[in-house]
Amino acid sequence: MKKMLLLGVAFGALALNTPAHAELKFKPGEDSRFHWANFEDLKKVDLKGETLTIFGPWRGEDETLVRSVLDYFSEATGAEVKYSSSENYEQQIVIDTQAGSPPNIAVLPQPGLIQDLASKGVLTPLGDDVAAWIKENYAAGDSWAKLGTYTGKDGKSGFYAFPYKIDVKGLVWYSPDNFKEAGYTVPKSQEELAELEKKIIADGGKPWCIGLGSGGATGWPATDWVEDIMLRTQPPEVYDKWVKNEIPFTDPAVVNAIDIFGKIATDDKMVDGGAKAVAATDFRDSPKGLFTVPPKCYMHHQASFIPSFFPEGVKLGQDADFFPYPPYASKPELGTPLEVAGTLVMITKDSKASREFIKFLEMPLAHELWMAQKSFVTPFKGANKDAYGSDALKKQGEILVGATSVRFDGSDLMPGKVGAGSFWTGMIDLVGGKSAQDVAADIQKSWDAIK
Amino acid sequence: MAAQIFSAIFVIIIGVGGCVAYFWGANKLLDLTFPSRGVTGTAAVNNLRRQGLVRPWLFVGPALIILTIYLIYPVIATLWLSFLDRGGTSFVGLANYEWALRDPDLRRSILNNLLWLAVVPAACTFLGLIIAVLTDKIWWGTIAKSLIFLPLAISFVGASVIWKFIYEYRGEGQVQIGLLNAIIQHFGGQPQVWISLPFWNNFFLMIILIWIQTGFAMVILSSALRGIPEETLEAAVIDGANPFQIFWKIMVPQIWGTIAVVWTTITILVLKVFDIVLTMTNGQWNSQVLANLMFDWMFRGGGDFGRGATIAIIIMIAVIPIMVWNIRQANKETGGH
Amino acid sequence: MAVATGKSFVSRFGVHIAVLVFVAIWTIPTLGILVSSLRDKDQIVASGWWNSFASSSQTEAGRLPPATAQTQKDGKYVLEGNIFGDGAKRNISAFGVKAAAPTQYPAGSSADLGDGITLQVNADGSFVMTSPKAFEGDRGQRLYYASSAPPKFTTDNYQTVLFSEGIGRSFMNSLTVTIPATVIPILIAAFAAYALAWMRFPGRALLIAVIIGLLVVPLQMSLIPLLKLYNGVGTFFGVPSKTYLGIWLAHTGFGLPFAIYLLRSYIAGLPREIMESARIDGASDFEIFVKIVLPLSFPVLASFAIFQFLWVWNDLLVAMVFLGTAPDQIVLTAKLNALLGSRGGNWEILTTSAFITIIVPLIVFFSLQRYFVRGLLAGSVKGG
Repeated sequence: MKKMLLLGVAFGALALNTPAHAELKFKPGEDSRFHWANFEDLKKVDLKGETLTIFGPWRGEDETLVRSVLDYFSEATGAEVKYSSSENYEQQIVIDTQAGSPPNIAVLPQPGLIQDLASKGVLTPLGDDVAAWIKENYAAGDSWAKLGTYTGKDGKSGFYAFPYKIDVKGLVWYSPDNFKEAGYTVPKSQEELAELEKKIIADGGKPWCIGLGSGGATGWPATDWVEDIMLRTQPPEVYDKWVKNEIPFTDPAVVNAIDIFGKIATDDKMVDGGAKAVAATDFRDSPKGLFTVPPKCYMHHQASFIPSFFPEGVKLGQDADFFPYPPYASKPELGTPLEVAGTLVMITKDSKASREFIKFLEMPLAHELWMAQKSFVTPFKGANKDAYGSDALKKQGEILVGATSVRFDGSDLMPGKVGAGSFWTGMIDLVGGKSAQDVAADIQKSWDAIK
Repeated sequence: MAAQIFSAIFVIIIGVGGCVAYFWGANKLLDLTFPSRGVTGTAAVNNLRRQGLVRPWLFVGPALIILTIYLIYPVIATLWLSFLDRGGTSFVGLANYEWALRDPDLRRSILNNLLWLAVVPAACTFLGLIIAVLTDKIWWGTIAKSLIFLPLAISFVGASVIWKFIYEYRGEGQVQIGLLNAIIQHFGGQPQVWISLPFWNNFFLMIILIWIQTGFAMVILSSALRGIPEETLEAAVIDGANPFQIFWKIMVPQIWGTIAVVWTTITILVLKVFDIVLTMTNGQWNSQVLANLMFDWMFRGGGDFGRGATIAIIIMIAVIPIMVWNIRQANKETGGH
Repeated sequence: MAVATGKSFVSRFGVHIAVLVFVAIWTIPTLGILVSSLRDKDQIVASGWWNSFASSSQTEAGRLPPATAQTQKDGKYVLEGNIFGDGAKRNISAFGVKAAAPTQYPAGSSADLGDGITLQVNADGSFVMTSPKAFEGDRGQRLYYASSAPPKFTTDNYQTVLFSEGIGRSFMNSLTVTIPATVIPILIAAFAAYALAWMRFPGRALLIAVIIGLLVVPLQMSLIPLLKLYNGVGTFFGVPSKTYLGIWLAHTGFGLPFAIYLLRSYIAGLPREIMESARIDGASDFEIFVKIVLPLSFPVLASFAIFQFLWVWNDLLVAMVFLGTAPDQIVLTAKLNALLGSRGGNWEILTTSAFITIIVPLIVFFSLQRYFVRGLLAGSVKGG
């Protein structure tokens, strides 16, 4: 009873104490990895009495992280920052902008949706100087600037979205211990990877854990994989044409990529649980097979966020590591392409605070504060690479900066009905046994239907 | 915190009190304007008649205003949207309806919806009725009812997690964490990926809704059963009727009106339900239904308001037969008044 | 009910069995997440929840200390310790050094790892590894072992959720939304339902038809037009557009068709004799409604109250659209949703949240249960 009472008191106390001023994560001026001069500059901006509402996709742990960065902005400028998110954020941003009560800043990961909002005229252009800044300061700056450029209501293209926080895709996760014990080495090319797969099968193991399940979004992990193969079998220009449907889904180049993935995912020997399990396994559960004893599989293809779904106690770098999904040795002209995803920051309601916030994102500090913690990679050359909070992040940062061509997640670039619709369902059909040709034809049909 | 509680209580009193004050005050005002007591002869008769003309509108007035703002206005807006393009800006005439006629997804959804309409309301009502009758007879009926009611209190997100742990599939020979496959594997059967079995997966999704909604049917039907005069039942027992006869010949006809209400409500719910489909399959593996398809067109990737609105209109058209039937029913009931 | 009298023992027994079966079928799925919410997060997807009560034999991986911990004994390099550290000890049955063969050696035996290196792991978890050469590297040798683990339950998941910042406030916010959003539609609908059932006026049949038609209006369709309206009203009067009043009215609007439909059909079924005798006694419609209809309708009012309460309590969409997400307005469902993480939930948070949200509706259900009993009494009045 006494314990209950104590619990109740603690509960009440927690509810009461909503701290007005959150403690800053890193004390300004103390750690030399950060550009603290930025913080002093920021202090000169006076936004007292202004409110900045931000609506973004980050929840849970990510929300704590983004808030820790936003704290610096509000501490220095005096603006009140209100951040919120929800599972239905996509839906809510459409509703709020349509009804005329948008937040100041919207953060979205889908360029397709951003294009839609831009063409409805609900976004404020950030201006050519910001675009120029991105070109100048981001590694592979041209492609990032292009990513932020959309066609507005007036039919003119403008720079609307600031890329901030990048996820590196096309990583293959593995357990170094399992590799070492079995005598496997990290493959440097697709040819070596194929050899490794054969070897694992011969040893009685399963090379891959694949899980496409994601509730209403089931199928998306497969689209990433197909895009990775596209980038490694075709020049980036073909990829660009593909995501704009300037070459159809039924083009041999695309069908080939779908087929390569299909051959892996529908082979009972290749995949833990067999082909039937691929679509049924949740993408959050699927990497756990790497760490079971004995291991259910040896490799898992997923973006940089996946360690948050590793079992508790798995130490990154020691118990788990990654290598980039390798390029084909037979196609040296393609270099080392990289697929990324990321979030883009837009102004949905213009104000002084909104503009200052975008300026804040141009400061190295805004990147370093998050880099020093978790799950944040940036192509910003001005940010101090030593600020990365872990070796894994640093390695991802290096992959990002070192890639010869960087392309954004193709399914996010396609119209929502395809990239977040028929492409997903097509992948489900594919692992269900449909041929790559038929799947591609179905997806193309759905694209034609919305033209 | 304390301030929040007080302000909450305060606004609750204002809100609820305001409602009470309106009904009481408006009624009083009417009585004062057209007094029927204290006056005699034709004046009283006239005033009574006038009261009779005004009072119904006093009673339905607030409901009517709120319904108009919150539902009728959006319906008209939706109808208008269904003639517009995807951004809701330029007029496209019947193009969206033409599209709807040809779209294979839509056709598939309609077929699936028909299946749902045939199974779910019937199953819920039947099971709910049986459970209501049975639990009335035993001393722990309240506990049993509460447990069957429980699923209704769970949000759809919660429900989808619950059923994940029933339908979950793991590869053959592995440890199954889904109950259904574990049972099947225990008896030597082949584990199945339940939610992707074409055609049958519809039923596995329906089971979830039946699981949730049977509690609803049970609660409503149970309160109706308690309204059956005991003399009627006792008389039947004395006449030597067996329990089945009592159930079919006495109870069911007595609460027929309520059964119709439950059936209608669940039918309409089936037309609207999309959360289950969205979270379990999102319409993949041929399990699409109209409401989820509408949601998809409305909001996925920026949305196409025109087509979304068109599907909404189709759902509303689908309910017309149910409407007609209910109005007939209502007229029959009140025909004598 | 008196029906049960005079029945054979067997048939009464049958009723108990039948209800038990129904209850079991309906409860097992929920029991599954209750158990899951009390389990360790990695266990949830590792084994079926029904297995969690039995002690299980499981194979795990551990790591021996790095080379820096070695000592020299009799000219050999030795690494010693206990694989469980200071944690709870378990009984090891077998061990191995390769993930592919994790139970190669029985506990207590000495494994030959080649190059003269031996490793012995005992049942209590203590180990000795010896080598003629010095150990190298900062990465310790992996060790795999099968042990029998007692059932393990934890309240961590509940602590994570219940002690997250601002959850108490959001709980209050949810109540502030839910109570008026349940009571107001009941009042408004009861009056309307009475008028539609027992008063004669032109257009009544049409109204009933419209209300049934409105039952089916998909909520998602009305959000944009309504929010536009709210914003318009807000700007016109210079008030915020996202207020508690706004969401009460919205929930009232969305709940009204069902409320009126349900109440009307019940009230229309009330015996006419009672109304007529009251009317002959000189009671006005208002008096009939307040003094006769309302008390007689308690069971159905209670039923509707429960459904409306549930719907509002579990709603996320309407709250996110019509109410802000600042601490003074965020509701419980939205708060829990934000805990789930950007990529959708971890199972342990999902199962726990589902259970936390269920508690309040259950209390409401149990406290309204007595009105169903009162309905029984009303029934006997009705018969007269």
